Amino acid sequence: MVAKDFNLGGKIALVAGDSKYWSKYAGAALAEAGADVAITARNTKRLEETAEEVRRQGQKILAISTDTTDAAQVQKMVDQVVTEFGRIDILVNANELLLAKPFLETTEAEWRRVLDTNLNSAFNCCQAVGRQMLKQERGRIINLISCLAERGVENFSAYCAAMGGVLQLTRALNIEWARHGITVNAIGTGWMSETDQTGAPQEELLLKYIPLKRYGHPGEVGSLLVYLASDTTDFLTGQFLYVDGAAMSHL
Amino acid sequence: MATGNGTLQGKVAIITGGGTGLGKMTALLMAKEGADIVVAARRVGAIEQTAKEVRDIGPRALAIPTDVTDPAQVNNLVKRTLAEMGGLDILVNNAGIVRGQERRPLWEVTDEDWRIGIDTNLSGAFYCCRAAIKHFVDQGHGKIINVASGNGVRGARGDFMYGTAKAGLINFTRVLATTFAQENIQVNCIAPGFINVFNLQPEPSTRERPGTSPFIPVGRFGVPEDIGHLALFLASDASNYITGVLFANDGGGLAGGIAPTGYAPVIAMEED
Repeated sequence: MVAKDFNLGGKIALVAGDSKYWSKYAGAALAEAGADVAITARNTKRLEETAEEVRRQGQKILAISTDTTDAAQVQKMVDQVVTEFGRIDILVNANELLLAKPFLETTEAEWRRVLDTNLNSAFNCCQAVGRQMLKQERGRIINLISCLAERGVENFSAYCAAMGGVLQLTRALNIEWARHGITVNAIGTGWMSETDQTGAPQEELLLKYIPLKRYGHPGEVGSLLVYLASDTTDFLTGQFLYVDGAAMSHL
Repeated sequence: MATGNGTLQGKVAIITGGGTGLGKMTALLMAKEGADIVVAARRVGAIEQTAKEVRDIGPRALAIPTDVTDPAQVNNLVKRTLAEMGGLDILVNNAGIVRGQERRPLWEVTDEDWRIGIDTNLSGAFYCCRAAIKHFVDQGHGKIINVASGNGVRGARGDFMYGTAKAGLINFTRVLATTFAQENIQVNCIAPGFINVFNLQPEPSTRERPGTSPFIPVGRFGVPEDIGHLALFLASDASNYITGVLFANDGGGLAGGIAPTGYAPVIAMEED
């Protein structure tokens, strides 16, 4: 549970994009804090999982199947959310497609697909939802990305480039929309796992890099998401905030 | 009665510089969520007033006059807190001061000016962390929130001691977070931007229109509540995987930097 001042009662959140972890946990956290939630992704199984979580919290849910890499589909989806709920207070961009390959072996098609999913989806959603938020003169945009937006690592060139792109989009939009009541922030996630990693092949290696000596659970991003989405953060914008067990403190 | 969700029920927080401004607001917001508060600063009248307002909300409160640049007084602060409140869970290092550097050339800054600037803004936090953290290790949990400044991230003209000390505090935060992560102690840092510390009552609408505060992207100064709520978030168990992180809460200034506001050219994409 989060502090009462962070309550999201009466707010409308849109969780957009395809990712292994984030839709379900983001939707659940926002709904637990009192928001009604729209979710959109290509993957229908993820849509159903998130819808179930939101319903469990007793909040309204609207699940729309959308390819967020397609601007026209995104605009249609946003129109549908606004028709249904009347407004959009919170946008969570939750896109993540992993690719781990040496740079010279990365094909043009793979590069484009990673950039499309991780970066261009955020462009599409920020643009379509931003128009609505500018009308409202108020909004919260939260980009759920990886700490690799700010650090380089072998075999992750496409992924790093895309995540870094979303981070800089965050900072630029912050300035562009600051006077319009819209805050834009990014959350950088560290090594996460939904399951206990004890004995997993890379566990020992990775734990070396996490001072907290455990993987984060995707649900642990929820409280920061709710805080950033709340009415208490009018002055907090353009930031990149880590949920990473101190990894970025020393890496 | 405390009117929040009780997320800090049963916790004890020390807030240095808690007599006024950000520290006072942090104390009151944490009290609303159920925390008992120890207010520490030099001015007795101010900390007793904060303590009274905490008690009016509901939780217990203690005002302990403390100069954080004196390690003996800091050790006594922690000792008395443990003895009289029965525990310590949260430490907010908020005490700080801008003094002795007003637009002076560097060669006129005295040894004493330098020492006071570094002591108040950096060493004080070190003394407080040193005094509290053994207790945190022994009990297996603890939260430290250091209040630094945007001046600790970028250079401000003529800001020798304050900016340097705050930069030190930001990295001290990361060192502590890395060192004590496994002990379940979370250490984070807040860098406030320009905060109107005299306005303890937040405006009904905190967003002013363009034309005010041209160097702050959101177009207004911050209010103590902006910082107090962030400290409240960082103090709760809901943020346990977040440690070693710098939270700039500055109306967007640091993220823009090069041209915070007012310079917004529109240039058509060049054709080949």
